[in-house]
Amino acid sequence: MLTIEKLAEYGADVEKGLSRCANNEALYLRLVGLCIGELSSCALGDALKNRDLDKAFEIAHKLKGGVSNLALTPIAIPICELTERLRNQSPGDHESLYNEIVKERAALSALLA
Amino acid sequence: MTEKKMKFSISEEKRQILLVEDDIINREMLKESIGNAYELIVAETGEEALRIVRERFETLSIVLLDLNLPGIKGIEVLRRIKSDPAYAGLPVIVMTSDSEAEVECLTLGAIDFIPKPYPPSEVILARILRTVELYEDKNTIRWTERDHLTGLYNKEFFYHYADQLDLYHKDVPTDAIVVDINHFHTVNDRYGKAYGDKVLKCIAGNALRLINEAGGVVCRCEPDMFLFYCPHRSDYEEMLNQLSIVPKGGDSGENHVRLRMGVYSDVDKTLYVDRRFDRAKLAADSVKGNLANPIGFYDNSMHDAEVMEEQLIDDFPTAIKEKQFVVFYQPKFDVRGDTPVLCSAEALARWKHPKLGMVSPGVFIPLFEKNGLIQTLDRCVWSEAAAQIRDWKERFGVSVPISVNVSRVDLYDPKLIDKLLDMTEKNGLKPDELLLEITESAYTENAGMIVENVKQLRKLGFKIEMDDFGSGYSSLSMLSALPIDALKLDMQFIRSAFRERKDTRLLEAMINLSHSFDVPTIAEGVESAEQVSVLKAMGCDIVQGYYFSRPVPANEFEKFVAEKKEISACS
Repeated sequence: MLTIEKLAEYGADVEKGLSRCANNEALYLRLVGLCIGELSSCALGDALKNRDLDKAFEIAHKLKGGVSNLALTPIAIPICELTERLRNQSPGDHESLYNEIVKERAALSALLA
Repeated sequence: MTEKKMKFSISEEKRQILLVEDDIINREMLKESIGNAYELIVAETGEEALRIVRERFETLSIVLLDLNLPGIKGIEVLRRIKSDPAYAGLPVIVMTSDSEAEVECLTLGAIDFIPKPYPPSEVILARILRTVELYEDKNTIRWTERDHLTGLYNKEFFYHYADQLDLYHKDVPTDAIVVDINHFHTVNDRYGKAYGDKVLKCIAGNALRLINEAGGVVCRCEPDMFLFYCPHRSDYEEMLNQLSIVPKGGDSGENHVRLRMGVYSDVDKTLYVDRRFDRAKLAADSVKGNLANPIGFYDNSMHDAEVMEEQLIDDFPTAIKEKQFVVFYQPKFDVRGDTPVLCSAEALARWKHPKLGMVSPGVFIPLFEKNGLIQTLDRCVWSEAAAQIRDWKERFGVSVPISVNVSRVDLYDPKLIDKLLDMTEKNGLKPDELLLEITESAYTENAGMIVENVKQLRKLGFKIEMDDFGSGYSSLSMLSALPIDALKLDMQFIRSAFRERKDTRLLEAMINLSHSFDVPTIAEGVESAEQVSVLKAMGCDIVQGYYFSRPVPANEFEKFVAEKKEISACS
């Protein structure tokens, strides 16, 4: 079961995340759960694989909003970096960033158990 | 605060916020942060947001707008809100993580930003609260400083801004200009209020264009009056022409709206602003009804007249108390027989002012008629005249009826009849010894009520003389319906009939007409023997004028009373 302690252990800045939810722990945890669901179901990997970078940017930008506001720092860092790269259409290693996102997503999902 | 007041109070009402956000996490966070303090209406797309703004902009306090929306993007939503005058004033706070978008959003009219990731809930709440307060304060100021119909300033704010202009442009010659619409109420009556409003808005638009070009400020201070305070100019005619461009009314396709303008040019900045506009208004009033020359300019003579008027008004109570008003009498002679016979006199007020000397009635009568003081003066004259009739009766044994002026304002006095009866009774007079002169123009306004009052007076025995006949607008056919005992032909009318190319045909027709209604005629302003004989030949009954005597004090008039006594004794 997802708890504040587990999230803090994971590396989330729970204090910041909670402050954006008016310190409502239940809401915060519910939103993190929603966010993990979005991360799992999104088509970011497919968009990158198909080189549909506009679509990839759109998805990454949306994910960035959620993870940043919830202060899920370990996954927020690679998502933000990928978003900026896609926004600026910078060439580079999208795949390794995506792999990091997948790794962090797995770590987050594990917290649900 | 009582429960009732809580239920019907603006300050306690939850403000409505439109939250435009497609992301559920962000939405839920904001709901938790501000949902207790505000009523949130949520839109998940740009299209939905625009629809809600259109439908509910009047009750929305603020829009929280995410830029990254599906469909119409946030920036386009912002642009559309700000480009529609109906809701351009609605404050929009943009929520973005993109600092580069900030400049564009500010340029488009966004009032603030909430960065992403969000600051703590209390910071968001405080920012929204502050924005709502500022918006409402601004709106309140806008509503109080502006005339709602035209959007121009109201008078108080206009004067304030005029003062501000003086502060920054002390040495710039400036004009105070008043623009008035002639008979605006008739425009409303004839073409409807909607057209009247359209005209006012149109003039306001023209005024703003002029001010935008030339500088200055403008306001609507009365329903049909506009004030301008602007750098000195000389093209007032052009200005008036531009202001006069309004939609045509009625089926004729003609412009029925006529403006007049009063200019106090290069104002004296030591005067209070409202005094400057009093002067411009005076200038505008000087051309009232003058369609050929609708622009009046304030000058020193107007100022002198104004000062004089103020002094006379100030001095009036003392003048009454100290009996500075003296009644003079001008005889009226019956010319029907071989020898003219004194039949009555007219009482005329003269003001022996301790500092100004003899003040002309031509100056103080119109002034007191305008401000209602005439009522007090009339009472004094009536009372003096009634006492005089009694005095002559007692000392000479003959009755010389005296006519007194009854002003229009007197006729509205519900106690008029009681007062007149009281005066005659107190002096032992019969009502027909005090003749009442009522001007023709008094009958034209509120005619029904005036006619009724006059009928009542006649029933009680008072004799009514219609004064200044021929100067007003009553039609000759009205004569049959009016309750009068004599018709007094206007002095100017007599004078013009006897001018160089003597044309007395109209005069004769009027005397004949008057006779056909069995109403005797009185000619005043008669100055020569020739005029007397012509009038007599025409059938005029009574003559008054310098030919017989100018108005004289009571003691000088006594010679006429003595003569009358002698004639009475002989006959």
